[in-house]
Amino acid sequence: MSRGTLPPFSVPWKKVMRLFLRRAVWLMAVILAGGLLGATLVRYAPGYGVDERELDPRLSQASVEALRVQHHPNANLLGYYAKYLTNAVRGDLGISESTQRPVSELIRERFPVTAKAVLLGMLSAWSLAFFLAMLGQYFRGWVFEVSSTLLTGFLLALPSTVIALLFVYFRAPVYLAIACVTFPKLFRFIHNLLVQAYEQPHVLAARARGIGPVRIFLRHVLAFASPALFALLGVSLSLAFGAAIPIEALTDSPGIGQLAWFAAINRDLPLVVNLTLLVTLITVAGNSLADYSGHLATRAS
Amino acid sequence: MSSSKSLRLVAGLLLSAIFLLALGANFVAPYSYAKQFRNAPSAAPSAVHLFGTDALGRDEFSRLLFGTRVSLLLAPAAALLSTFIAGILGGLAAFLGGWWERAILASADLLMALPLLFVLLALRATLPLDVAPLISAMATFLILSLLGWPSSLRVVWAAARNIRESDFLLLARSSGSSPLRVIVRQILPSLSPVLAAQFWVTIPVFILAEATLSMLGLGVMEPLPSWGNLLRGLENPSAFQANPWTIAPLILLIIVVFCFQFILPSRGDLD
Repeated sequence: MSRGTLPPFSVPWKKVMRLFLRRAVWLMAVILAGGLLGATLVRYAPGYGVDERELDPRLSQASVEALRVQHHPNANLLGYYAKYLTNAVRGDLGISESTQRPVSELIRERFPVTAKAVLLGMLSAWSLAFFLAMLGQYFRGWVFEVSSTLLTGFLLALPSTVIALLFVYFRAPVYLAIACVTFPKLFRFIHNLLVQAYEQPHVLAARARGIGPVRIFLRHVLAFASPALFALLGVSLSLAFGAAIPIEALTDSPGIGQLAWFAAINRDLPLVVNLTLLVTLITVAGNSLADYSGHLATRAS
Repeated sequence: MSSSKSLRLVAGLLLSAIFLLALGANFVAPYSYAKQFRNAPSAAPSAVHLFGTDALGRDEFSRLLFGTRVSLLLAPAAALLSTFIAGILGGLAAFLGGWWERAILASADLLMALPLLFVLLALRATLPLDVAPLISAMATFLILSLLGWPSSLRVVWAAARNIRESDFLLLARSSGSSPLRVIVRQILPSLSPVLAAQFWVTIPVFILAEATLSMLGLGVMEPLPSWGNLLRGLENPSAFQANPWTIAPLILLIIVVFCFQFILPSRGDLD
């Protein structure tokens, strides 16, 4: 086959649909199982269904009884879970015990702050990691290897809370702190992947034939690395959301990370469980989308 | 000796020295971690208090030694439990196969899909905040080990599946070895390098997770020190400027995590 005349790429729709369906079923299973785990935690947590106002000596027996009826715990876990799911489908995620506000309202208020910080953080971390990994390909040698290993090793050894504190001291934006936490893991993976890609026999052959570096990168290196890069994209979403909790808590950023920390400190289980489910849903959907794109990229290459 | 081997040796020696110092905290530390010097709160470093005292008048050097002991003893214990669970479940999945394999792998995937820190917060939130310090430390590391096994499980399962297909296992079975003998003499020795690698990889992850949880007030409770709650001293910049030794737990933590990064043999060394 002559250079530049690749066979036309046809999408095997049956396989793609099967993959899509499998991912959708997996997503549903994660949501249902995660929900059951969350419902179990809430249902069997110490103090479930108890209102501390019951201890108020000024209340009459009738008032105490009314409170008990209002907070009557559902004895059956599956019944409790079914009720939770039915309400969740209607958009009612319950009431936060610490703030006495609907959980869905709190999430609506705070989610955009975290989403913006996570997306900007991921964008910054990916740009820096990719730029440095590419730089490593052109300045190969022990100086780059040692300095990059020391830098990423140092960042990996710092707890995300300490990184958050440094960003508080320097009044730097929250998204940069998230980028700082995710960057070292991304860089190490991308760097190793590019080293592996540039050592492939077909890439060496293309170099020997005098094909330009940009064309080699776009046509051969990216094609080899794209499935793994897409998978990494999904993983980095999970990393960034995980980093958001300590960073938002310590930098006083009003996002869902700070809300989750606040809920944990106040033992507000309905809130913390709903937030966990929300982040799980986002990360699993992100991972599925990344896997799906990676699968298409593999087929295309 | 290659440079990576000598680096590993240095890292190993450094880690051993820190471990020994932490183990001997009772003998090396001048005071108990909870003893308060009420007339010397936030004291500067001196001959009496090597690293000064904290805002409650407790000796920072003693607290650092006892905190190192808590973090460096409980993190490996949690890593051991986590690797043990991964070993048992990974081995079962590989050798039983069929629905067992699918169920175990699916549950591991499910746990891995949940964001670790959010789940840690949710589980920690089910426990009362006013538990005894030692119980809070145990609970923190127990939760870490119960949530940390799925990432190791995949690796152990892949290695165990290779062993299942191997000729030497077939030979051992056909020569009439009992299942127990096959496990003890054939499977465990073959799996041990993978299990050991997973154990070493998990320790720094747990050390960092404890530091994060304790800094957020959800890990090891006061007055018991750990690296995480000692790092809370950094939240107050003026205290840090007055006594730069407040940064000592962070430096020690960085050194230890760095050493753990270097101590694992690389693939090149194994070849």
